[in-house]
Amino acid sequence: MWPPERAIISAETAQSFALGERVRIVDLDKPGHVRTPTYVRGKVGVIDTCCGNFENPENRAYGRVGRERIPLYRVRLSQRDLWPDYQGSDKDSLVLEIYQHWLRPA
Amino acid sequence: MAERLITDIGGQPEGEVPRQEVPQLFWEKHMIAMFGVLWNKGVFNLDEFRRMVEQTPPEEYKHSTFYGRRVDGMAKLLIEKGIVDEKQLAARTQKIVAAGTRDHFG
Repeated sequence: MWPPERAIISAETAQSFALGERVRIVDLDKPGHVRTPTYVRGKVGVIDTCCGNFENPENRAYGRVGRERIPLYRVRLSQRDLWPDYQGSDKDSLVLEIYQHWLRPA
Repeated sequence: MAERLITDIGGQPEGEVPRQEVPQLFWEKHMIAMFGVLWNKGVFNLDEFRRMVEQTPPEEYKHSTFYGRRVDGMAKLLIEKGIVDEKQLAARTQKIVAAGTRDHFG
């Protein structure tokens, strides 16, 4: 409804991963609006940047704003790991932003 | 695995990308302007908007355009929030379509 509800909870989730740490992107099998594309689920990468804490877009997409803020990371994946027929250099990589609850230590 | 979103197409074969310039219709420019106003004033957030675009039924999505999906998404969000009346909007839309004055460059 309009106007939206504001700032119900302002908790901050602690950061679980450090720069350079190896992580696996998991498949949470979650319906609705999520920001982890299917083609990177199950893949292992390295924490490239710790971006800070942000509200979960999976909540915000349904108007639930002002809730807990969770860590967001840039994860670097090797293009070779993403595409089995990749012809480019094995140094080629892809960096994308993934929220902490989609990551596990690898 | 949760059902793949219609917009989650990374890594899927998709064929050629058409490279020709497409002139912008007047209502398409209005769509961009309207989006900026509604987003900046906090009427909806970006994640809600993305959710609505993703919720376009797959059959409809195939025949829709970039601007069409977004104008429909915005309209559905405003209806969901009780800001716009669905019947009034439908009546007004029908009137414009019947008059043949919707698509013009300006």
